[in-house]
Amino acid sequence: MDRRDFIKTCGTVAVASMLDASIFSNLLASQQDGMLKTYKKALLVKEDGSPLKEEDLKPHNNYIFFYPFVSTPCYLLNLDQEIKPVEIKLKDGLGYLWPGGVGSKKSIVAYSAICAHQWSYPTKDYSFINYYPPDKPSETTKKAGIIQCCAHLGLYDPKEGAKVLDGPPEVPLASIVLQEENGQFYAVGVLGKDQFDQFFDNYKADLRQQYGSTAKAKELVEKCIVMEMDKYVKSVIRC
Amino acid sequence: MITRRDLLKSVGVGALAAGLSSKPIFAAAEKVVKMEAVLPPPKGNRVVICGGGWAGLTVAKYLKKENPNIEVILIEKRPNFFSCPISNQWLADLVSLDFLSHDYNQPASKYGYKFINAVVIGIERDKKRVYTPHGYIEYNYLVLAPGIKYNYKAWFGDNKDMINYTRVHYPAAFIPGSEHLALKRKVHEFEEGDFIITVPPGAYRCPPATYERACMIAEVFKRNKVKGRVIILDPKDDIAPKGPGFRAAYEQVYLGIVEYVPKASIKEVDPVKKIIKTTAGDFKFADANLVPPHQAGELVWMADLIAKDKDGKPTGWADQDPLTFQAKSDPNVFLVGDVIGGVPYPKSGHMGNSQGKIVAKIIASRIAGKEYKPTLPDNTCYSMVNGSPQEAIVINVTYDYNEKEKKIVPKPKVINERSEALAKATYEWARSMYKDMFA
Repeated sequence: MDRRDFIKTCGTVAVASMLDASIFSNLLASQQDGMLKTYKKALLVKEDGSPLKEEDLKPHNNYIFFYPFVSTPCYLLNLDQEIKPVEIKLKDGLGYLWPGGVGSKKSIVAYSAICAHQWSYPTKDYSFINYYPPDKPSETTKKAGIIQCCAHLGLYDPKEGAKVLDGPPEVPLASIVLQEENGQFYAVGVLGKDQFDQFFDNYKADLRQQYGSTAKAKELVEKCIVMEMDKYVKSVIRC
Repeated sequence: MITRRDLLKSVGVGALAAGLSSKPIFAAAEKVVKMEAVLPPPKGNRVVICGGGWAGLTVAKYLKKENPNIEVILIEKRPNFFSCPISNQWLADLVSLDFLSHDYNQPASKYGYKFINAVVIGIERDKKRVYTPHGYIEYNYLVLAPGIKYNYKAWFGDNKDMINYTRVHYPAAFIPGSEHLALKRKVHEFEEGDFIITVPPGAYRCPPATYERACMIAEVFKRNKVKGRVIILDPKDDIAPKGPGFRAAYEQVYLGIVEYVPKASIKEVDPVKKIIKTTAGDFKFADANLVPPHQAGELVWMADLIAKDKDGKPTGWADQDPLTFQAKSDPNVFLVGDVIGGVPYPKSGHMGNSQGKIVAKIIASRIAGKEYKPTLPDNTCYSMVNGSPQEAIVINVTYDYNEKEKKIVPKPKVINERSEALAKATYEWARSMYKDMFA
């Protein structure tokens, strides 16, 4: 895709996203080198079950929800600035168009919280992969406004489709495709190299313990309950 | 390179050393001459990996992931895997042996490579053969990842009695297995006096390990109210890496228990009289963890792939291309993990794992007839500096390649402020590493 096509697509996607999910998905999918997987369209809701609104998302606060499976965690962030679409190029030559932020300011983004390096992920006990807001830089890397995994110090840029900034990951975090309709937000798919196969494979025992069986851990969500990270995780590990 | 004649000779020598008569020697030698292949010759591309540590395991898994049609054979002399990283925490009972131990069958069956539990007794590079007591195995590509060996000769010359005495009484515990169990027993049975740890000169496996080990041994002494000190004899001018972090732990957590002695190059070791003479003075000890200088594992010497210095003397480490890990004198052999020389990479588990992935890509690309521009590895190393509460420090290093100077440049990031968060991250690091190699 050349730059002109890219910009054109972004504009079209932006318009389409206000209209119809299937148009949006189909159009986006046509540009994605097979990198877009659509799942059940799931409404983002608050803990009380009411639909999540833009004003519920404090800027630079780390929110967690699960999508597309009940056991696969994702981060929801309001980056408090317009987040523009980005073309992502992978090392294997494939690429995709990351559509940027959603919401009135185009500031809301969502990513899989499974590290693309060795699949560290937030559990109820610990979270080693976290968003570091602008006023709380990482002690180790001194960087802020990033997603960093303390297991092996992989750094991702949430403003740029979670591109790898530093460390061992070879691919960006997979991004969760969000759609806004009448002030409500929906998750509709996963864009990029998701790590779900490795995640389910590696954490089989943990997931069985937590969900009862692998099949239960792989159930698709109907709704995404969004909660503050600090409420979900006992111990947020920053480094 | 070892020849059939050398093999015959070594079998003879081994048998003589074992005090056998000439007939069994001949019989054993005859067996070597008539040695048959363990496996039929390779049909396609066969990669034989010698050494099932962090590097070898990673090459095996990722080669199969890159291309399932490559026949991958992993030869390892130990029947099960014991992790050196995190073993210091185990010394102080902070983790169980289960956490460090893994079986080789799981990844071999899961990823489809062959695991052969055998000792490599010879390598013939001209014939592309690796010899085991069960027979030989032919290869298209050979990966040598045997880790390290100890250079006790630097202390005792050819005095084998002294070498064996030291190995048995004061094990270094830098090679997985029985030595670690022995060290743990000694630490927990220690009652009084000075417990010495020697830091090897030059390049050695896991640079922060001795400093972390001092903390964990001190933790046991503190917990058991032992009237003892841990004395670290270091040939370096100061602690490195993570110097400020370790020093703070010695001064704040283990004050009076850990004593760090810099510029203490070893002049003489007398394990019988329990005296070590160094450039910083003489030290008597009640017990010790005597860590001699390290060198590349035996297989690299066997394959005649050790680098030489300007004077033609062996450097002790492998002679490989810094970017492709290919042996400089043999394009079909790759050297990976702790054995490599001439690069600013620490010899660590994480580094071995990181290099393993790169080497797997390089070999798979070569087999596919494709060009692959190698990336550079990375390293993350956590060190536990307090056992109660558990607190750790960390160093992370990524690398850039300076094309102009043809030089690999390290970019270290360090946290010397110990914290409980980093202790938790230590275990997450280990868990995810184990999962990467075994799950």
